[in-house]
Amino acid sequence: MALEKSMAAIPEFLSKAELLKQGAEARVYRATFLGRPTIVKERFRKQYRHPLLDEKLTHRRTVQEVRSVLRCRRAGISVPVVYFVDYSSHSIFLEEIVGSSTVRDHIASSPPSARCEGLEPLAERVGQVLARMHDEDVIHGDLTTSNMLLRCGPEDGVSELFLIDFGLSYISALPEDKGVDLYVLEKAFLSTHPHTEALFQRLLKSYAAASKKSSAVIKKLEEVRLRGRKRSMVG
Amino acid sequence: MHLTHELELFPDHKVTQMLFKEVKNAAELRQCAVEGKINGALINPTMLVNPFQVLVAANKAVNSQNNGKMKTRSLYSEIIFNLSPTNNISEAFKRFGCSDGDDSVLVVFIHNEDESQLLADLTARVSGRQVPVEEVSSLTDHAKVKKLYKVTQEEEKSGTLLDAVVCRMAAKDVM
Ligand SMILES: Nc1ncnc2c1ncn2[C@@H]1O[C@H](COP(=O)(O)O)[C@@H](O)[C@H]1O
Repeated sequence: MALEKSMAAIPEFLSKAELLKQGAEARVYRATFLGRPTIVKERFRKQYRHPLLDEKLTHRRTVQEVRSVLRCRRAGISVPVVYFVDYSSHSIFLEEIVGSSTVRDHIASSPPSARCEGLEPLAERVGQVLARMHDEDVIHGDLTTSNMLLRCGPEDGVSELFLIDFGLSYISALPEDKGVDLYVLEKAFLSTHPHTEALFQRLLKSYAAASKKSSAVIKKLEEVRLRGRKRSMVG
Repeated sequence: MHLTHELELFPDHKVTQMLFKEVKNAAELRQCAVEGKINGALINPTMLVNPFQVLVAANKAVNSQNNGKMKTRSLYSEIIFNLSPTNNISEAFKRFGCSDGDDSVLVVFIHNEDESQLLADLTARVSGRQVPVEEVSSLTDHAKVKKLYKVTQEEEKSGTLLDAVVCRMAAKDVM
């Protein structure tokens, strides 16, 4: 009895928190935790999966997310601090990047005329950060402009770029995996932000310049693009 | 001077921290804790960066207790264990627990009632000077903390030492 009641502490807490996003695999909440603004990501049970398999998969995703965040931090990449992880409710408590907006919103809100030149420094920053992440062998797994946050610096106006949502991430040194990671971003980027081909090229260029192992990755990216095109011609 | 925080996840648990400097009877205090006369964790404050670090350890300890997943025998030893970046229990005590010769000590209580009695009892036992808990930051041995938690130079450029420490504490079960 007592155990059941205490195990409900986190669901009980989340039931009063502000729900930010209901996804297919997880719910994202905003709450105050240990006195700090916090984002809680709770992975939930998928009814169609076998319970044991589901438990295993969900656990693995949670573990991978925590590991990748720490690996990125060690390499000096800005990612939200992990405050607490509960493996029984599969919840991760993360630092809320207060006062930030997504790169997606940032691009969408800039006037179309400025969409290329004005955003070039940002595209270059993104390329550099991804290069550093891949050099650490972290594959994000779900790169989109919504999974990047920008927070304006205190006064100097230089904003800080954060990567978030490492739920599908894993560790791999294979150029193929890194190439696919970039391909996923390219697809998402160009479909979310029309007429930004040149901007995305800038991003790739700065990635290539910043990463020690970029030539094999860019080659794989080109292969994956070709494969993607062939597939769409057939299908 | 003390700091009391009600745990958001466990509203019937409060965490109270008190910090003492110029402590002359650390050995005696440690004995009291062993005998259960002080029902709290005695921590070496030079390994702490900020009181938030203790809150993170305490919240995790209460959660582990509730889930039946504690790695040590009491809630207070669990707090000390949680502060450490490794899973070695004796190492955690050596680094983060109070030692007989220490001249400063941070005491943590977990309770559900008003803290005034706890404060009075402890103050009567400590021969030392109570200071605001926030002053723990001035006692931090930065070099030792960085070494123990293996904080990298790149990391220090992009985030605070507290961020680095808290992340390792939270992630240690899966490293
Ligand atoms: N650490 C964070 N700080 C601020 N906002 C966040 C954070 N994590 C997620 N969000 C917001 O919540 C949305 C969904 O989160 P996610 O499912 O992790 O991509 C993001 O697009 C952000 O707007």
